[in-house]
Amino acid sequence: MDYEIVVGLEVHAELNTRSKIYCDCKNAFGLEVNTQVCPICMGMPGTLPTLNEKVVEYAIKMGHALGCTINNVCKQDRKNYFYPDLPKAYQISQAEVPLCQNGKLEVMLDDGTMKTIGVTRIHIEEDAGKLLHDDSFSGSLVDLNRCGVPLIEIVSEPDMRSSAEAKAYLETIKSILQYINISDCKMQEGSIRCDVNVSVRPKGSDKFGTRCEMKNVNSFSAAVRGIEYEAKRQIEILENGGTVTQETRRWDDVKGMSISMRSKEDAQDYRYFPEPDLLTIVVDENKVKELKDSLPELPNEKLKRYVQTMGLSRVDASLIVENLDRAALMDACVEIGKGSPKSIAKWILADISKYMNDTGKSILDTPLTAARLCDLVAEIEKGTISNSAGKTVFEAIIAEDKEVAEIIAEKGLSQNSDTSALEAIAKEVLAANEKSINDYKNGKTNALGYLVGQCMKASKGKANPGLMKEIVTRLVNE
Amino acid sequence: MNIDIKHIAKLSRLRIEDDKIEKFEKDMQSIVNMVEQMPDIDDTLTLDVNNPMKLREDVEVTDKYTREQLMKNAPQVQAGCLVVPKIVD
Amino acid sequence: MELYEKSAFELSEMLKAKECSAAEITDSVFGRIGKTEASVEAYVTVCEESAREQAKKVDEMIAEGKQLHPLAGIPIGIKDNISTKGILTTCSSKMLYNYVPPFNATVMNKVNGAEMVVTGKLNMDEFAMGSSTETSYFKKTKNPHDLTRIPGGSSGGSAAAVASGEAIVALGSDTGGSIRQPSAYCGVVGLKPTYGSVSRFGLVAFASSLDQIGPVGRTVKDVAMLQSLICGHDRMDATSKDIAYPDYAANLKNDVKGLKIGIPDEYFGEGIDAEVKDAVMAAVKLLEKNGAEVKKISLPSTAYALNSYYIISSAEASSNLARFDGVRYGYRTENYDSLIDMYEKTRSEGFGDEVKRRIMLGTFVLSSGFYDAYYKKAKLMQKKISAEFSEAFADVDVIATPTVPSGAFKIGENMGDPLKMYATDICTVTINIAGLPAISVPCGKTANGMPIGMQLIGGHFREQTLLDTANAYETLVGGFGSIPKIV
Repeated sequence: MDYEIVVGLEVHAELNTRSKIYCDCKNAFGLEVNTQVCPICMGMPGTLPTLNEKVVEYAIKMGHALGCTINNVCKQDRKNYFYPDLPKAYQISQAEVPLCQNGKLEVMLDDGTMKTIGVTRIHIEEDAGKLLHDDSFSGSLVDLNRCGVPLIEIVSEPDMRSSAEAKAYLETIKSILQYINISDCKMQEGSIRCDVNVSVRPKGSDKFGTRCEMKNVNSFSAAVRGIEYEAKRQIEILENGGTVTQETRRWDDVKGMSISMRSKEDAQDYRYFPEPDLLTIVVDENKVKELKDSLPELPNEKLKRYVQTMGLSRVDASLIVENLDRAALMDACVEIGKGSPKSIAKWILADISKYMNDTGKSILDTPLTAARLCDLVAEIEKGTISNSAGKTVFEAIIAEDKEVAEIIAEKGLSQNSDTSALEAIAKEVLAANEKSINDYKNGKTNALGYLVGQCMKASKGKANPGLMKEIVTRLVNE
Repeated sequence: MNIDIKHIAKLSRLRIEDDKIEKFEKDMQSIVNMVEQMPDIDDTLTLDVNNPMKLREDVEVTDKYTREQLMKNAPQVQAGCLVVPKIVD
Repeated sequence: MELYEKSAFELSEMLKAKECSAAEITDSVFGRIGKTEASVEAYVTVCEESAREQAKKVDEMIAEGKQLHPLAGIPIGIKDNISTKGILTTCSSKMLYNYVPPFNATVMNKVNGAEMVVTGKLNMDEFAMGSSTETSYFKKTKNPHDLTRIPGGSSGGSAAAVASGEAIVALGSDTGGSIRQPSAYCGVVGLKPTYGSVSRFGLVAFASSLDQIGPVGRTVKDVAMLQSLICGHDRMDATSKDIAYPDYAANLKNDVKGLKIGIPDEYFGEGIDAEVKDAVMAAVKLLEKNGAEVKKISLPSTAYALNSYYIISSAEASSNLARFDGVRYGYRTENYDSLIDMYEKTRSEGFGDEVKRRIMLGTFVLSSGFYDAYYKKAKLMQKKISAEFSEAFADVDVIATPTVPSGAFKIGENMGDPLKMYATDICTVTINIAGLPAISVPCGKTANGMPIGMQLIGGHFREQTLLDTANAYETLVGGFGSIPKIV
């Protein structure tokens, strides 16, 4: 039987606010254990939370980016469970009424087609601390620095049908978080984590199968591996006449397998109830609108524009979109309207990216402005300079901070495209190389290249090579 | 309404000695009975928009406390961390 | 008359007139503690050394001619659930037997800022759960009017210390009557402020949506002075109300002409001792004779306030007390073989039975499948009760009721029966449910000589009206009497 995979994702993203969500401790990663804490985030008796306004704003921005309804009147709830990384023994989160809900996200798949994935909700909550395990020690160690780091949880509808769709969704979410600058998105620091819900069903069925939730998925590639493993596991069970049990599983990326953590029967009873230490969150409707208006063009929209209206390839387009500097340069060039977008894209992805990688510099730190890049591409397209001269111009812009025309003139890089002048040179050269003409006519096709080379040499390299080849070919065949 | 004292105790991370279970059950039961006398109210809970929460400005304050000050009350500390019994996932 | 017998206001005036020193006041109070504490047992921690140092500092400031707060140099006792930096804060629980907060509650910053003299930390029911101070892990505080009787609770230490002269004033906390009920039993004045008027930051939470810190004193004026000091918006407490708060003490009046007093039938029914009803009605009559207008009112849902209160307070408590797990502070069991074992043993050994009962009740009402039937229903009842009060306050300025149904009972009398114990809160819990302010003032004694309390309830943030009314009554009866002899 053919099966269809059904995937839903819960993405947790740490927000890059200055302070934590409920206290004024610094929100930072990688500091010495238990040095970024205070009585509030340590859950000392008598302490109270105060909600960071930026957390609300950032979450609303994300809500707008994912086309959500914003619940500008909402509250927070306590999720109760005991664990050493959760000092208060409850996490302040949102249950019934999230800040944002009912959104959707359009993502581009590898083949360039678009797919819309529903976004159930986005809510705000606090992160927990970390447990450190040291084999040389008989206990576990608790570092509370991460307690109270602000998180948004983005819950999708079970709308994805393959690991590739899940990956495209995750990458788009990450890219949006970066575009609206609300998360550092450092996967290795765990600033984006996800829980994956997977089920399978016979192709064509409109009923969902029993789902399993996979926790501890720490990278997008792990999500892909986890989904594929889990789908295969479930299909095998069904093929053998078994039934899938609803449970929570832990993904072990090193071993490449998921392990059962707890079944539905042992499901935790979180005893949610409204957080009595906080009042109703009421965001002014003008503020909600203002946040919407502040959003830039989002990466998924940009990608669609690059591919569908500018004709870039899916791969080139996403390589530009995924880097904010590249995308900004691309858009500035398109705005100027000189040079074809495809050529500009090639320059951005080849020479410019190579230079950035080699030097570790940002595009913004060099004298290469969008206007100069447009000039450069336009001169090449017009045939004023050759491609290789273009590279010289590029290097000179960066080294000397000069305009393209100035560099071409100074370095004498413009190529001769005057047909009659080139014909005169060619005739002179051919007259002196009758042997080669005969060789050519006798079938030695190499000879043509030699002749063109001699002509180029005679022009001191200034001749437009394409045009010169055309002229020489015509003359020897006359 | 019967109350499963052992289940509730487990959720509460409490252990009730066997000889006290009956007494707890009786006490809880009488409280629950009292509570159940409440009439049903045909109403819904709404959020209080007239008393909105003032949010905190996003400013970080560092060096408010030393780690030693904050860990002074902890029963067991090792390498700047709190210590709990080994957790096996 | 000894200095410890005087009111905070009198002592303040004496200090200003240089008729006594802060050191002498502190000396007098500690002399009294030395004599009576062994029998009253109001304190968990006595801070004699730091108190004497503070008094000396105040005297130096006076000598330097510094402008001081009226309460500077006045000895104050603090309920042991209010965080005091560097001073044990136990909540009268084994769970926090060794806990020393690294920070001060906002009210402590105010108390210290006013240069008051902190005498120590006062006994209470464990985590403020109880009505007699008998659930304290450390000791049983006695009623200064009869040492065989309970002082009430949970702020039993606060009321007993003030009543016995072991402190001039005190801070208590009130979740369902915990300031007013012991104040009534001990014959002192206790104010439960409007929810949101005093910062809860640093108050170890019992039920966050109901808890409120408030003052206890021997005169209405002292209570007004202390309330003026501790109230106000605090950005550390999101539930604290950002409005302008008057200086209650400076504005204090004693005129009740035209004041409309509501008398709700529901608070004078079955379960309230006749002598208590009579005493409260006599007090109301006295106010009426002096110009107040008395009106019958109805608060029909009062009968369900206790039900609603036990659900809401226990639900919040079950969550608030989950943090006591032996990891970051407080008690940890000695032998354990796993994390869960450590949690369960620590919590079972660290908490007393009353606390466990409330945690379990709270866990139960929030647990999957029961939330709507219990918690949601209780919240709806809360809404209804609040609406009834709002309606009542459209017609009257204050509502007068008994504070407690009877005089203080014997130690041990109600310990076996939680429901009987809970019933002593029947007149007070409603006020917390509605978030209103209420004050308890002494209004006579029972046949066996125990104080009776009258509760005056006001509209939200109408503390001034309550204090004015209480002050008028105090003036009319010529004061609330002297400190009892303790033998």
